[in-house]
Amino acid sequence: MTIVLNCKGFKFPRVDREKFVSLIHLGLDYDRNTGLFSIKSYNNIEKVIDTASDILGDEVVFLQNCIRCGKDFPCRGCNYIELCATKNLPFSCVCPQCLIDRKNFETYLTKF
Amino acid sequence: MVVNEEALMWVEKYRPKTLTEVVGLKDIVESLQAFMRNPKAMPHLMFAGVPGTGKTTLALAIARTLYGANWKSFTLELNASDERGIDTVRDRIKDFSRYSRTGFGDVIPFALIILDECDQMTGPAQTALRRIMEVGSRTSRFILICNQSSKIIEPIQSRCAIFRFSRVDKQAMKQHLICLAEKEGYTLIPEAADRIVDFAEGDLRHAINALQTASAYKEGVIDEKTVSLVIGEASPSQVQKMIRKALYGDFMEARKTMYDIMGSFGFSGTEIIRQVQREIFKMSDLTAEQKADLSSIIGEYDYRITQGANSDIQLSALLAQFAKFGKGIEESYAETK
Amino acid sequence: MQKQNNLLWVEKYRPKKIDDITGNDEAKALFLEWLKNKRHTKKAVLLYGSPGVGKTTLVLAASRELGFSVIEMNASDTRSEKAINAVAKPATSYKALDNFTENAKASGNVLFLDEVDGIAGNEDRGGVNAILKVIEESLVPIIMAANDPDIEKLRPLKKVCLLVRFQQVRIPLIIALLQKICMLEHVSAEFEALERIAQNSKGDVRSAINDLQSLSEENHSLTLQDTMLLTSRNKDISMDETLKRYFSAQNIAETSTMLAFSSVDYDDFLLSVGDNLPKRYPDAFELAKAYDYVSQADMFRGRIGTENWHLLKYFYNALTKASAVNPQSYKPFPFITPPIRIITLFWTKSKRNTLDAICGKIGAQCHVSHKTAKHDFIPYIRAILQKKPKSPLVGWFKFTPEEVDFLSKMSRF
Repeated sequence: MTIVLNCKGFKFPRVDREKFVSLIHLGLDYDRNTGLFSIKSYNNIEKVIDTASDILGDEVVFLQNCIRCGKDFPCRGCNYIELCATKNLPFSCVCPQCLIDRKNFETYLTKF
Repeated sequence: MVVNEEALMWVEKYRPKTLTEVVGLKDIVESLQAFMRNPKAMPHLMFAGVPGTGKTTLALAIARTLYGANWKSFTLELNASDERGIDTVRDRIKDFSRYSRTGFGDVIPFALIILDECDQMTGPAQTALRRIMEVGSRTSRFILICNQSSKIIEPIQSRCAIFRFSRVDKQAMKQHLICLAEKEGYTLIPEAADRIVDFAEGDLRHAINALQTASAYKEGVIDEKTVSLVIGEASPSQVQKMIRKALYGDFMEARKTMYDIMGSFGFSGTEIIRQVQREIFKMSDLTAEQKADLSSIIGEYDYRITQGANSDIQLSALLAQFAKFGKGIEESYAETK
Repeated sequence: MQKQNNLLWVEKYRPKKIDDITGNDEAKALFLEWLKNKRHTKKAVLLYGSPGVGKTTLVLAASRELGFSVIEMNASDTRSEKAINAVAKPATSYKALDNFTENAKASGNVLFLDEVDGIAGNEDRGGVNAILKVIEESLVPIIMAANDPDIEKLRPLKKVCLLVRFQQVRIPLIIALLQKICMLEHVSAEFEALERIAQNSKGDVRSAINDLQSLSEENHSLTLQDTMLLTSRNKDISMDETLKRYFSAQNIAETSTMLAFSSVDYDDFLLSVGDNLPKRYPDAFELAKAYDYVSQADMFRGRIGTENWHLLKYFYNALTKASAVNPQSYKPFPFITPPIRIITLFWTKSKRNTLDAICGKIGAQCHVSHKTAKHDFIPYIRAILQKKPKSPLVGWFKFTPEEVDFLSKMSRF
């Protein structure tokens, strides 16, 4: 099983203080009111994923955000995943439908 | 009065001090003597001709004739190929004319500037030189010395009286050498003198230097054998080695020698290629036709060096052509067999 | 040389607005946050990541939008501490002036040092320290960019800077950008062709746009077939790699595509090709032919000088021909680098200096130039001194014992 997370807000089970500090150090933000973590700095994003996998005891992937349609989507199903240097990291991208679909492209272009 | 140390290089020691002492340049000397009778009317002069034919000697003799024993105070000797650029030439001329202006009589109202190897200057530098000559013409006279007057821009040529120097006559050179040897207490065998004259190719400086070197090899009589030794020592063996390696197919070794020559002796690509040209004609194992073929290849690369950015690349390309040429000879030889 | 051609698509479509920059949204946000709010708490920022991902573009677009004047300096152009100080110091002290003018719109100056990893070479001792000093003394914020953040020498910089990491731009994003450019340039392109260009670019947007332009500009169409010319692009192709591809190329087209995109210095490359040619072509006829092309390339280099860059294509053409004299005969061989000339000249420098000094002394006594002294006197004086080391000539010329030693040990020219 793979756990898919949204980088703008995700929950962790309770971690000890040391681990919490290291998460914040790696560039996460924690909102006390909602109890949600979010990603603030992407500099050490690989390490964030490793730590998250440790905590959750499973493989973790983040959702991507499509710059054309604005929807979130996972890397799974992307044709270029083998060549991608940033696969599964929560960055903006273009979802497979938008890339091939000419209509989406044209509506996107009208925004310029 | 300061006594000049006696010069020890014979070319200096026996350099004629006055115009009348100069032999073999009768026509030129006569015209110059006319100028000396009325120095005020002397124009800028240009001496053009191959090396070792007396251009510098005449220029210095003019300085002595004009200013006498103190000639050095009124004469600036510059060499275009040694100066960093036209700006340093300008500065040195400016400095010189600043403190040498006083002290001339009415007779000679100018200082003398001898500028050697002018044909080494670039076009823009020559244009600047023209300006310098114009600005300084009231206070100074120029003697420009060059190998080829055709490399000097027209406006400078038109401001000068041009004198062309031809190669020193073989017979005159031979007599001069024998005479000179005698003054130094040596007997120069006529056959030995002939060898030196042939080797010098009309360049008296080379001839006298070779003679002096021979005198270091042997006391009393200088014979043909000694002269051969000296000529052997003075010929460019590295260039020969480079040519032979290339022609006999060892390109890598030839190129290594080329880099040695450039690196250790600081020869430029043009200097090396001119030596290659000279050496080719001395090689006894090539036919006249082969020499001519090689010579036209050399000519092409001589031109390319002037166009290109890296003379070592052009020389390497030349050596590759030589290697190809050598291979061609070898193959045609194998065929006829 | 690229300035010659204003129609380079990389320049034409270089985003003017921050929002238009493709990819690296996260890095963009981090950088903008610093430039807007945090530049006073941390004076310098280091943007790092592989070439062509938008670092410089972001700096220029952001400063334009936020009203900063950028004082730009390419660290690999003028590297020494002195040079850095000369450029960076005056720039960093402009702030006082700006405060006087109270220009409402202008937010002030930023100093931009591009390619700071270029200063890490050996010859730049002091380069990194100078930058540290500039950061310490600077009154204005400093932006730096580097291609390779892992260079040991840059470590001191990492401590005093906010680090912003740029990732390779993702393939779908690059495809999307290429689609957009094709639209605007009226190029009808097969999706697979754009896909291949993007995959080949390894996340380098600049090279992807260049590839697109070179493959499609002529007839405004692009098929997958056309992209077969592309050789696999590798970030930072080394000289060795470039030479390898050059010498192993199977035809002229392959070489010319490779050379058009290699980033090695063409002067160094020309010398290295010359150096390695004899190993590539052991056959005398082939070698002569190849060298003839290299010689022609060198002549074009000579004509290019410092301004005639439009001749560069002929230079490359000639070099390309030299690579394809006999493609079948290629066998791998170890390359000679750096250029033989540079090594030779380095080791023989002191010899030449001694020779020069000797020529100067001869020139002074005999009224001749250094050159004449070298050709017409040295061979003889050398022979005399080898026979008679105590010759009075030594005193007359004022030769030092070292110079006499040099002359008597000197080999013939």
